[in-house]
Amino acid sequence: MSETTTRAVGVALSAGYALMIGWLYARQPQTIAQFTGGLSDAVGAYHIDQQSFDDGLAFFRRDQFVEARAAFARADPAVRDARTQFYIAYSFYRQGWGRFYEDDALYREGLDAVNRAIALAPQGRLVVDDPDLHLHTADELKATLEAGLRIDASDFSPARVLRERK
Amino acid sequence: MTAAREAIVLPLLFLTVALFAGMRIEQRVVFDPPSLFALVLGILLVRLLIQSGTLGPERLLSAQRGELANVSGVVVFLTLWAAAAQIFAMLIPEDGLPRLIFSVFFLILLLNTAAAGPDRRRLLQSLAVTLGSVFVLKFVVLAALSEPGTGWLKRVLQAMVEGITLGTLTQRVLHPASGYIALFTLGLFLLGVFLLPFHEPPATSTDLVRGVRL
Repeated sequence: MSETTTRAVGVALSAGYALMIGWLYARQPQTIAQFTGGLSDAVGAYHIDQQSFDDGLAFFRRDQFVEARAAFARADPAVRDARTQFYIAYSFYRQGWGRFYEDDALYREGLDAVNRAIALAPQGRLVVDDPDLHLHTADELKATLEAGLRIDASDFSPARVLRERK
Repeated sequence: MTAAREAIVLPLLFLTVALFAGMRIEQRVVFDPPSLFALVLGILLVRLLIQSGTLGPERLLSAQRGELANVSGVVVFLTLWAAAAQIFAMLIPEDGLPRLIFSVFFLILLLNTAAAGPDRRRLLQSLAVTLGSVFVLKFVVLAALSEPGTGWLKRVLQAMVEGITLGTLTQRVLHPASGYIALFTLGLFLLGVFLLPFHEPPATSTDLVRGVRL
């Protein structure tokens, strides 16, 4: 190998390695799946596992939220798909919703998931056309979860028992 | 120095150091970028390496070299700086009084070493001893003091140390793998510094006479 080729290869390798390190510092992946998925996503080659997503959706519609989240997590192991993260957030909302009170721990996890979905969506705008859902945008879901975590006068209103789950 | 060492080995080695030195294993793995202070210490160390002849800048950047050769020279400089900054960030404790003491220690040490003007051999020895000692202090001594006690004697001693120092000495508990990763990273960094293209001092008249006699 000539000296020029060696130097060109070296500069290219260093640039690629430095970019990968910069990406690691910026994205902070937690698992090997997140790492490989993130790299695939960077080159536009990342796809969710459709079968697992469909399983998750079926569980979600039967109100089996824990099972639904397990299937959604399997569908999107790299946490790179906004729609899957939206459904994960929605499952936390529906599981945490109660006629008399909301489960704050589940709502907080839901809020984290919907924030991830918003961060992953192009320009932060995410619309899910699913007739089974009452909230079709990530913004609405986020506002609902935030409202559930807030304590205000409406929390003490007797009329709250008449609310419907969205 | 061969082109492969300059263009491939050194940049990849220093980038690996920058990657692993910034890795913090807690409940999850976090990649921690260097602080501004660590970047300044990195600059001071690079300056010191040049001053001592451990790094000959003319062997990486000069008008006699081609454009691509100068580009790979710049890459060596930048990766060395990143690695040096991350090494300081790795060795300085995370918080409390030790963080302040270690930071001031490194700053004074680098300025003092620059004032002393050591040659390459002495600087390499000094770097190995200093960074090695700080490694032992942080990853062995402070880690042992901060670990939750298993026996009653250790718990009593820890309570006493914490009481005397008002809790400013103990650190966050390190993951068992942290020390091993830090040792590997530090070794890699020192190897990289040793492999840098150094400045060959001009031959003195004594050397010439010795050469003629031989």
